[in-house]
Amino acid sequence: MSTITVENLTKTYGDVEALVDISFEIPDGEFVVLLGESGAGKSTLLRCLNGLTSPTEGTISIGDEEITGPRDDVAMIFQQHYIIGQMSAYGNALTGSLNRTPFLRSLLQRNDRADKIEALNALDTVGLLDEAGQRAERMSGGQQQRVGIARALVQQPSLLLADEPVASLDPASAETVMGYIRDAAKSRNLTTIASLHQVNLAREFGERFVGLKDGELVFDGYREDLTVDVIDRIYGNIETSSIRNEREANA
Amino acid sequence: MSVDTDDVSDRVTERLGDLKRMKRIRRFGMLLVVALVGVLFNLALDQVGFSIGEIIYYWPSFREALGQFFPTTTYVGGLVFLDFDAYWAFIVERGLFGKAIITLSMGFAGTLLGLPGALLLGVLGSERVTPFPFNFIFRGMMSTIRAIPALVWALIYIPLGGVTPFTATLAIGTDTMGNLGRLFTDALEEVETGPIEAIESTGADRRQTIVFGMLSQVVTPFIAWTMYILEINVRIAVTMGLIGGGGLGYVLSTERGLFHYTNMMATILVILVLVISVEMISQRTRSYIRADDDAETKGLLQLLTEFPQRMAESMWR
Repeated sequence: MSTITVENLTKTYGDVEALVDISFEIPDGEFVVLLGESGAGKSTLLRCLNGLTSPTEGTISIGDEEITGPRDDVAMIFQQHYIIGQMSAYGNALTGSLNRTPFLRSLLQRNDRADKIEALNALDTVGLLDEAGQRAERMSGGQQQRVGIARALVQQPSLLLADEPVASLDPASAETVMGYIRDAAKSRNLTTIASLHQVNLAREFGERFVGLKDGELVFDGYREDLTVDVIDRIYGNIETSSIRNEREANA
Repeated sequence: MSVDTDDVSDRVTERLGDLKRMKRIRRFGMLLVVALVGVLFNLALDQVGFSIGEIIYYWPSFREALGQFFPTTTYVGGLVFLDFDAYWAFIVERGLFGKAIITLSMGFAGTLLGLPGALLLGVLGSERVTPFPFNFIFRGMMSTIRAIPALVWALIYIPLGGVTPFTATLAIGTDTMGNLGRLFTDALEEVETGPIEAIESTGADRRQTIVFGMLSQVVTPFIAWTMYILEINVRIAVTMGLIGGGGLGYVLSTERGLFHYTNMMATILVILVLVISVEMISQRTRSYIRADDDAETKGLLQLLTEFPQRMAESMWR
């Protein structure tokens, strides 16, 4: 495991600048939350980190290695979970080990015993061990997202990415799922970058925060620096009135 | 105000004139089309030697045939109704249920023989597996196979296997590669991108991404389409018999040659039972595995009433 370095990252789609000259560095094991309105560039940044999209300019590296495509040790949790509905929770978790399983073995489902145990452990981590045999499409949204987390963990990543992992869940499930992500990351000392648009959740779970606005980096700091003014800078004044009220009430 | 109205009504009358003119042109065009279709229809009737006189002339013998198709007998109490015994006697005598098994086997074995080829061509024909211009090699192969009806495939294979159920099964298998493969390709075009990307991002290789990201999404539709093709193949197997491929169709064609119309109708009844049973089983299975609302299940009555149409459709596909 090693430091994640993003240097002068720029991504343009035609005339649209999705990311403009972003640079930051994340040491091992940090839990980073990406903040920003929709369209601020959070997803693009995560896709670049994951290697699904290649940057127009600049570089991203893990340790000394530059990211040029999807990597075995970078795992992603998607907003719509994107698990395979027709497979069981266990089968989905096991797809996390595809990168270290030869094609024929994976086709015939002759996975290594170690990987099978890893898959069940990961399901246990997200509280789904008892549901391992259940078809994924029959599960609730929160459970499906937890299967997505299990799949990411089975990948044995050194960097865990999560693109709005709880955006399509109800508030209670969102809390639960974020809790599982944080616990899994902590217990494995796993560097995690998650984008969240709910400021409340972000403040609850984040350690360090990277704020994007219109593709530019407008904030990079830790919880104590994430003041109401900073949130205003990231979101404009829309999101924060409720937080301000809440704070005043607390004070 | 009044000046305004005059101004507007001028434009309105002008527009009205336009519309009338357009209507006349449309009406004239319509007449022209009707006349043209009429001429073509007449030519076509001429080509096939269609004549009302013929129908009138041969009507008595057709009525006689109808009488043999539907023999009647007097039941107790003076009730005159269809003579089922006559049908049954032939069914038992010629062992039609055994023939039904042969027909069913042609359809079933043909489907399974064609399945691997359909899978291969279907998957490779998808643009998401094979990049754009190259996938058309496989799509083209499937189109070619489909352009030739199963019955013609059987004729092509006759030098290979003779006029036998074996040849018919080979033909059905070939036909399945084209038809089922095409359905597979279509199903694959509809898979979601998300799960594919998700599998890609686990670091899986290309083949694993295809199997786990794409094919895993279409297992149920693939099974359902295979069941659907099985239905069609059993119907094709009946028509295969007509050219000597054995099974029920063969009995049907020999009895027609012998002018044994009662026996013909008995065979048709067994065909009806066979095809509808297969359809019912297939449709129940499909709606069960799909387990969603849009899966259609037809009742027995609907299956019966639509039978002739489906039979005709599968004749030359």
